[in-house]
Amino acid sequence: MNSPPGSVGTPIAPFPFRMDNEIYRLPRERLDALIERLGRDYRVVGPVKHGATWAWTDVRPGVPLALDYPTSMLPPRQFFAPPRETLFRYRRDGDGRFVFDEPAAERPVALIGVHGCDLTALRVLHAFHESSCRDRLVPGRLDRSFVVGLACWTPCLPESFCRDMGSLENESPASLYMWDIGSVLLVRVQSPRGREVLKDVTALEAATPDELVALRKRLRARPDAFPAQLHFAPERLATSLKAAEADILWEATADRCLSCGRCNLVCPTCTCFDVCDRASLGGAAGERLRSWTGCQVPGFSRVAGGHDFRPTRAQQLRYRIFRKGKYMPERYGIVGCTGCGRCATHCPTHISIRDMFVQVGKAP
Amino acid sequence: MPQASMIPQPVRIRSATPHTSRDVHFVVEAPKGFAPEPGQFVMVSLPGIGEAPFSLAALPGEGTSDGCFEMLIRRIGRLTNLITRLKADDLLYVRGPYGRRVEWDQFEEQNLVLLAGGLGLAPLRSFVRRALGRRDQFGRIDLLVGARSPDELLFRTDLLAWAARGDDVHVHLTVDAAREGWDGRIGVITSLLDGLALDSARTVAFLCGPPVMYRHCLRRLLAMGLYEHNVWLTLERRMKCGLGLCGNCQMDGHYLCCEGPLVSWREVRGLREVV
Repeated sequence: MNSPPGSVGTPIAPFPFRMDNEIYRLPRERLDALIERLGRDYRVVGPVKHGATWAWTDVRPGVPLALDYPTSMLPPRQFFAPPRETLFRYRRDGDGRFVFDEPAAERPVALIGVHGCDLTALRVLHAFHESSCRDRLVPGRLDRSFVVGLACWTPCLPESFCRDMGSLENESPASLYMWDIGSVLLVRVQSPRGREVLKDVTALEAATPDELVALRKRLRARPDAFPAQLHFAPERLATSLKAAEADILWEATADRCLSCGRCNLVCPTCTCFDVCDRASLGGAAGERLRSWTGCQVPGFSRVAGGHDFRPTRAQQLRYRIFRKGKYMPERYGIVGCTGCGRCATHCPTHISIRDMFVQVGKAP
Repeated sequence: MPQASMIPQPVRIRSATPHTSRDVHFVVEAPKGFAPEPGQFVMVSLPGIGEAPFSLAALPGEGTSDGCFEMLIRRIGRLTNLITRLKADDLLYVRGPYGRRVEWDQFEEQNLVLLAGGLGLAPLRSFVRRALGRRDQFGRIDLLVGARSPDELLFRTDLLAWAARGDDVHVHLTVDAAREGWDGRIGVITSLLDGLALDSARTVAFLCGPPVMYRHCLRRLLAMGLYEHNVWLTLERRMKCGLGLCGNCQMDGHYLCCEGPLVSWREVRGLREVV
């Protein structure tokens, strides 16, 4: 990301809309040129429609980007901490001793059309990895990536509450930020690298006064499409959750939980992983992998000898909600829930993080 | 590109001695620059089988043969099943040390009481060795060891050798149950605290054992008047990375692989899932 270091992990402040920002026109048919330009330096991905759903997909010129996509099931973190990733390969040398090879460096990724919630998630990931002890893998990928943000006009999902979490209006970290105002895409340059790329794609033709007026009008009307659902500031979550420690408060909801872990997998800010080996037949070679797992998966907190420090579903559910609403803001300075609505949407028993936030917010 | 630190280094096993029916005592040649503190741990793996965290039963240069560290590994799952079959000159794959480095200067002039339940004696053995290696820095040292049965008492040679050092370290043993022939104490480990007159204001306690032991010992030690910052627990979890990332060792948002496993009760009091 080309934003200055340190800006990524700071708490979200709404980016003020100012007329003196560099806002340029990007005719829709120039999207292919943008893909082509980014493709020179990056692996380019964007939202593409597959049947009845949308997914982040590798794109090349000619592949239609679904810029009206109502979010994806798997979040963009899949490009920074993939669902399954080789940590190293191993093989036996002549003496029977194992030698290790690191995977080759991959191309940095460019994402086109990242919604505010997922931009926020990138800040969360950055803040988490920056503060964690020793890993440079994910922050390195974040730093090398190129992000094109995209404004939303309507909630993606019935479960979305991005406006309440402050991520609807979040426009960083992105090198370019787009508004689709129908007739044309308006693009604001948000970093020198962004200008470099956009300059190669268009003639940097400034948005016309009429277009800026139209944009302002839409932005002013936008909150009406996102009715408030939380009725309190997300910064208050940590305090509210503090009063909701007791297991009993979580039991009713946890009774519905199937421990499938889908909420963890679709969450844009989950970071936990498992490590396992995959060996060839005969065991002379293989690889060590890390793969997504999560706190809702049975056995996640089990230790050698069989003891489980977080054995009940109520404790596991409480843990997930606390991690997002309390531990992450306290430790990394940024709330771990972006309000994207994925976890509730994909939960087979409709457990909603928003409803739980609302409940704890109501408590005195 | 994944960072190199999750790639283990091959280390040669100097000796592998069956210890009990299911524990094997490994003396392993330490990788270069390997300088752990008591309470830290290493990730040990066999490529193709897996990787797991293990605590250190002795640190390099602290009563070990030159440049070696020691581990006591219990046969309990797939990985340990295979590791415990290895012999001298075989290779293990190790990375670390991981975990918080607790400075021992803060324990100077203090009395030490170490409570080890079962396999908990393995990590605490490195604490005892550290303390005996700097014997004049500390006051009285008590080692309290509990085991399920006399057969499961670990490190008997060490226990006998320590007991033979007279006032250097006071060794107290108890077992949960015993057959005929055991003339020692029978009872839970807290019962060893009964006869102990601790100078509570200047005693530091280290605990390692099964979860249930922590609850009872903590209560007793605090009731005896030990300061909360002087009661240290090793909170062993199933770390997968050791880098503060994988989340398996999280406790209330704390990543124990970096902020622990050795923590004082004052630091974790009030958190959930501690013991």
